[in-house]
Amino acid sequence: MGPRWKGKRSEEKALANPISKLISDLRSSLIKSNSQAMLSGCSVLLKCNPEQTELLNQTCFGRPVITAEKDNHRFELSLEEAFYLCFSLKCIKIVGGDNVTRTDNELWEYMIFKRESFPYTFKAYSHLRNHNWVVRSGCQYGADFVAYRHHPSLVHSEYCVLVLSESNVNDRLRVWSDYQSMVRICGSVNKTLLVLHVHKNCENVITSSSPSFIDALNVEERTITRWDPKRCREKQQVGTE
Amino acid sequence: MAPRWKGKGSEATALANPISKSISDLQSSLIRSNCEGILSGCSVLLACNPEQTDLMNQTCFGRPIITVDKDKQWFQLTLEEAFYLCYSLKCIKIVGGDHTIKTDNELWEHMTCNKASFPDFFKAYSHLRVKNWVVRSGCQFGVDFVAYRHHPSLVHSEYGVLVFSEGNENGNDRFRVWSDYQCTLRLCGGVAKTLLILLVSRNGKSVISPLLNCIDDYSVEERIVTRWTPERSRE
Repeated sequence: MGPRWKGKRSEEKALANPISKLISDLRSSLIKSNSQAMLSGCSVLLKCNPEQTELLNQTCFGRPVITAEKDNHRFELSLEEAFYLCFSLKCIKIVGGDNVTRTDNELWEYMIFKRESFPYTFKAYSHLRNHNWVVRSGCQYGADFVAYRHHPSLVHSEYCVLVLSESNVNDRLRVWSDYQSMVRICGSVNKTLLVLHVHKNCENVITSSSPSFIDALNVEERTITRWDPKRCREKQQVGTE
Repeated sequence: MAPRWKGKGSEATALANPISKSISDLQSSLIRSNCEGILSGCSVLLACNPEQTDLMNQTCFGRPIITVDKDKQWFQLTLEEAFYLCYSLKCIKIVGGDHTIKTDNELWEHMTCNKASFPDFFKAYSHLRVKNWVVRSGCQFGVDFVAYRHHPSLVHSEYGVLVFSEGNENGNDRFRVWSDYQCTLRLCGGVAKTLLILLVSRNGKSVISPLLNCIDDYSVEERIVTRWTPERSRE
């Protein structure tokens, strides 16, 4: 399925403003202002100025939070988004309730404590982001993520993403009814089901003691679609129908 | 959600022809002609005369299959449907490949070997059928069954049914995580059905032995899962 752009000029606009450039601008801006975000349960709250607000919206990191503050905007980031900005892009620092900056290892441990499958969902998230896909929460569609080729205002999302790993390989797609369910939903919202299998690339790796564990993980991609015998047949027909 | 009848005369037609009566007629007809189903893997094949074909279609047991047999219409029954006709309604016998009639216990063993979840699925299926719900496969909708108040041509199905087992060591295969709830609820909403969970408890009975009597001791609890919108649910 090719990208479905919204309206006539969207594809042009997208080509003129690649996501990679926007993310690079966001990164510079956050570094310049020594941006700090605060851990808050399963979210991370980031304070940002108007320029950063614009870039965060354009690159779909986080969700704007309404507050009484007029000059500062706040964004609520998911664990994956926050860790990506902090560890992969190295453009924000994250502090705890005590205002002390957390090290990468401390953050890693914290996030795994909040969600056991974090290393695997993060690997999947960063795998897509590194390829310049715009990745957002897929919970509306019963998926882990949805992936867009560019900003959601310019293009419809193409993929509903489910992350399977040894930690949660038994949680989705265990039985046929779950496949039926997901494929039907994806069909009805014009998306393709993309399953990312995240697994260790070597047996001896000790799980998740530090973020370097991410390098020991591999991602395999599979799309799952319906196959209709009538539509997939070649034009010439043998025998009678 | 109230029943959604298809078209004007449907409700009247349904009230005039209750499912219980059609099933009772089917039962009599099958008994009269000593019908025998043939075990075939995860299905049972049943040959029916015209009167029975009509009644099978009206009560939604099995799916008609195309064969070269001109005198009889063959139906393919699921394990639950076949066992319900054989064990609960006692109106068909079932033979194996060797042409000998299987006892209820032998059938139970065969079906349980073929599908580990058969006891729970059968309990759920018969729980609904006994109350005159028309029950069919829900695989189109990513659920285990769909339940209709009457024939699907007269009414839209109201419930998408998932069967859960209590006391399953590995947990159930669905609804282990939130994304699965989201997915299923969205799908059910999109096809105007309510999600019905049937929680089957074996009450400590082992499946293996004694074979069949245990099923009477199973219990079923029903739960509906729906979205709750704060704005709409406020007084």
